[in-house]
Amino acid sequence: MYYKELYTTRPGGQLPQLVRAENENMQSRYVVQKILQLREEGVELHDIAVLFRSSFLSFDLEIELTKANIPFMKFGGFKFIETAHVKDVVAYFRVLDNPRDVVSWNRILLLIEGVGPRTAEKIIDDILKKRVQPDDGNSALPTTRFWQEYHNYPEQVQTLFHVLGQAARPSVPPAEKAQQILQYYAPILKARYDDHQKRRKDLEMFQNITERYRELGPLLTDLALEPPNESIVDVESPGPETEYLTLSTIHSAKGLEWHTVFIIYALEGRFPTMRAVASDEELEEEQRLMYVACTRAKENLIITYPMNIYDRESGMILTKPSRFIEGIDEPLLEPWVVE
Amino acid sequence: MAKKFTLQPLPTDHLHLIQPQHLKINYRQELNPAQYEAVTSVNGPHLIIAGAGTGKTRTIVYRVSYLIELGVKPSAILLLTFTRKAAFEMMRRAAVLLDGRCEQIAGGTFHSFANNILRKYAGLIGYDANFTILDQTDAEDVINLIRTRLKFDTKEKRFPRKEALYDLYSRSINTLTTLKDLLALDYPNYLEQEADIHAVHAAYVQYKRQHNLMDYDDLLLNLTVLLKQHEAVRAALSDKYKYIMVDEYQDTNRMQAELVKLLTFKHQNVMVVGDDAQCIYSFRGSTIRNILEFPQEYPGCRVIKLEENYRSTQPILNLANEILKRTSFNAK
Repeated sequence: MYYKELYTTRPGGQLPQLVRAENENMQSRYVVQKILQLREEGVELHDIAVLFRSSFLSFDLEIELTKANIPFMKFGGFKFIETAHVKDVVAYFRVLDNPRDVVSWNRILLLIEGVGPRTAEKIIDDILKKRVQPDDGNSALPTTRFWQEYHNYPEQVQTLFHVLGQAARPSVPPAEKAQQILQYYAPILKARYDDHQKRRKDLEMFQNITERYRELGPLLTDLALEPPNESIVDVESPGPETEYLTLSTIHSAKGLEWHTVFIIYALEGRFPTMRAVASDEELEEEQRLMYVACTRAKENLIITYPMNIYDRESGMILTKPSRFIEGIDEPLLEPWVVE
Repeated sequence: MAKKFTLQPLPTDHLHLIQPQHLKINYRQELNPAQYEAVTSVNGPHLIIAGAGTGKTRTIVYRVSYLIELGVKPSAILLLTFTRKAAFEMMRRAAVLLDGRCEQIAGGTFHSFANNILRKYAGLIGYDANFTILDQTDAEDVINLIRTRLKFDTKEKRFPRKEALYDLYSRSINTLTTLKDLLALDYPNYLEQEADIHAVHAAYVQYKRQHNLMDYDDLLLNLTVLLKQHEAVRAALSDKYKYIMVDEYQDTNRMQAELVKLLTFKHQNVMVVGDDAQCIYSFRGSTIRNILEFPQEYPGCRVIKLEENYRSTQPILNLANEILKRTSFNAK
């Protein structure tokens, strides 16, 4: 590694803390109380983050935060574009843009009630063999006729082709295409997902995104390459209150900073993970993750770990602090215990 | 008869002859000495080791502005970043600092850059310009389809699932490692099926080609192929992008490093910026070796370190420095 020593000319500052809790829930309650206390001292929620090695490590804390009525957003979960309903809608757009996209054809045909894998394959085969010429070079975009040749298909498939045919017209801008497709998709969404209300918000977001584009190609490329980060379904919505606390994996916290940073589960076996313990290279990467986590803090850094965590895979009880901080004491790190 | 004087294009290393007092921005005053050195380094290869909170973005923003003040055409500057948002943010800030020319530089991620180039030259590598980009789950679905088609789902012996297959293929490409080596390392119980795993891969590659599909890795891979096989394209791009900057270099993979090499082959005017201590994406194929070996890969490279932190208090920095220094936790 390149040797370097970070320094600042700014004077003062509090010592980072290492806080031991008897169990997971005590760790969670400690974090909640500390956050409430900081808030009373004038530190706003949006200037506080709780970081962790893996996404599942915050579940217990999330419950305690909800109890204490502290709004939060969690980062590092599923991505917007990877959620099923957004993928459904994007698939319609993809076949408009590239009718040889069999993956998307398959997806949208299977969404139709009464169309199983076999029917879907037949239809796709027909689309590919008879009407799309894979090798005709530049003019791979479908003609209006392409979308109209659907007379022999089951009725529901005819409807799909009709909608696609309308949306395919080059004079129709992407936002309007989205409107037509979402209108077609609405009953499907309702039928397939119990939480369709919540999911509809993602689709509204999708509609908003389409408004920024004049052409389909760039829209799809951007969605694939630079998707909006989080799905609304997966992010705990903070409601009308705009102030919220950040929960994030360390990976998703890269490049960001907060007044106060908590690093929870700095527990040997969780951070570093069990898996990483076997390899020098992976251990070094975990060490760098700890470094990244610590350097997110501007004023306060609080590292916590719970004891008595049962690890199912190994059958071990985890009790020791992460090896990356174990043995570091004053004057670098102030030890605390939660009672 | 009058003597003739033929005008030649100015060589790029002429740029540094411009005197600082003629610049609009007082770079020396607005930057610390290490940042200033980085910003005003123009030609040749440079590695900027930028510690956490040391003003890395600021340094890149000022360098874009500096290059443009020296007379470099905005379109000759290529800025590759980790997210497209980061690139736009830097360009926007540079535009506020200097002027609108800073927003005309070419900026984006490796993948978006590859996408743009490939849309233009798709024909040369056997694709249509309207190819569809598969994200990871799409790619896994295709692999699953092929896995089923080739009847690996009903074989007596356990065959890797779509997720494992995608992971193998992707890392094989991104780390330039053979499937066999990866299998030996991470999936030793599937080593015997190496031939079958290769067969599924071959079918997957063919399938994508047939249906005009590219997964994320294909974007980089196909760009590499394009640049390697078509010297005219390589030369044109290297001539076009005379100054290349790469942000977050610690998180690049082998193929991205190779792309940088191909793009800079004519001039070696490349500045990579990053922090080896913050390399945390090896599970996606990034390798700390790119940043560690950069000086060997580019002889004559200058290394500049940014160590003054503007974010944290000294006690927090002391702890962070200590965490990095400790090496007594070797694997069991």
